[in-house]
Amino acid sequence: MTRAISQFSLLVRKDLRIESRSRQTIGLVTVLGVLVVSVLGLGLGAASNVAGFSATAVLWVAYLFSGVLCFEKTMAVERNDGVLAGLLMAPLDRGLIYLSKLASNLILMIAVAAVVTPVGILFFGFDLSAAPGTFVAVMALSIIGFASIGTLFSAVVSSTRLQGGLLAMMLFPIVLPLVITSTQLMLHTFRDGQPASGGAVGVIVAFDVIFMTVSWIVFEWVLEP
Amino acid sequence: MSTAGTNIFVRIYWAATVAMFALALAVLFTYTPTESTMGPIQKIFYLHLPIAISTFIACMVSFIASIGYLSTRKTEWDELAAASAWVAVQLCSVVLITGMLWARGAWGLWWTWSPRLTFSLVLWLLYVVYLMIRMSIESTERRAIVGAVYGLIAFLDVPLVYLSVRLMPDMHPTSVELAWPMKLTLMAWFVPVFMLAGGLIAAKTVLNRRQGEPSPSVAGFPAFPARGAL
Repeated sequence: MTRAISQFSLLVRKDLRIESRSRQTIGLVTVLGVLVVSVLGLGLGAASNVAGFSATAVLWVAYLFSGVLCFEKTMAVERNDGVLAGLLMAPLDRGLIYLSKLASNLILMIAVAAVVTPVGILFFGFDLSAAPGTFVAVMALSIIGFASIGTLFSAVVSSTRLQGGLLAMMLFPIVLPLVITSTQLMLHTFRDGQPASGGAVGVIVAFDVIFMTVSWIVFEWVLEP
Repeated sequence: MSTAGTNIFVRIYWAATVAMFALALAVLFTYTPTESTMGPIQKIFYLHLPIAISTFIACMVSFIASIGYLSTRKTEWDELAAASAWVAVQLCSVVLITGMLWARGAWGLWWTWSPRLTFSLVLWLLYVVYLMIRMSIESTERRAIVGAVYGLIAFLDVPLVYLSVRLMPDMHPTSVELAWPMKLTLMAWFVPVFMLAGGLIAAKTVLNRRQGEPSPSVAGFPAFPARGAL
């Protein structure tokens, strides 16, 4: 167990060190997220009938595109100089490779969300004062689910050398339950003034648990140097 | 069973399916009463519901076959998974079209983001993407693995989609009371639709198997490589 934790920590530190030295992903992904929010803000925000809580849907579009780019870039790093082949030959559990990749992606996605979310809230005038904790918790849980499945599919796309765009195609329909649940939850909470229902939060938690577990199990089958 | 025996069985099967469809149509137009609120457009329901349930069964077959492939690595499972997903897409397209026609007749709208329409759309998207992914991968083995993994995840996503769309506002009635003649008509439609779905899955599986076999070489030219199940 201790050995697994130290291997996991080593792999995560490796990813973050590469990112801190190259800064290839975080800057690109954050700017893309802000761009998406700005474009949608210009297109929709100018219309007077767009309510503040529409920001959730806009933020989802930004998270989806930023996430796809982030997952693609972090997996592409493993392709350089045969890093993945080396990892696969190392005496490591492949499930551990998945978990470490997920942790790296989550750290990057949370960093991106920390910049993109305030921008979206500001541009759309989303008043969070009614339930700021609910908003943060729902979005954080949703990002965990999104990163869980995104990490698996980025390995699939990377190992099959599929063309760009396919990761988005694979991911978007799968994460729709997260998008639908979180946007509906925000409508109920901020428009209707109702507390977040346990059932709706349960859907998001179930998504996280199911797909994290399944991805951890099947990761070794899709990984190929 | 010999090839000739199989051919006769297949012909009898499809002839029986067509006959059952003809019977169901006859029942629909001669025996079934017209629903008082929605009028004749409600009759689309007798096709819509059996096809929606067949779609779900086809998705489940694809899911079971995906697990079968991942646990045994036998190509027969992959061929069945691909065939079932293909049939699910065709059936789900019919569900969407009949649903839209019904919505237009009943509510005057072609599309509304009601839970059931949204659920059908997401289901259709999930399995169209499955077919697209398979078409994008050349290696037969990688296609089968990636297809099985995606098929597994897509089906696990279905109950989550169902639970999430229930949070949306609904225009549909919560329950529909059917009179006995209507229930009988519905049963008369379930039989041919299930036969159609089962027959299509079997036929597409056989087709996938034949596409996976290398073509015979002709006049000294080397055989074309196997294309594999799409």
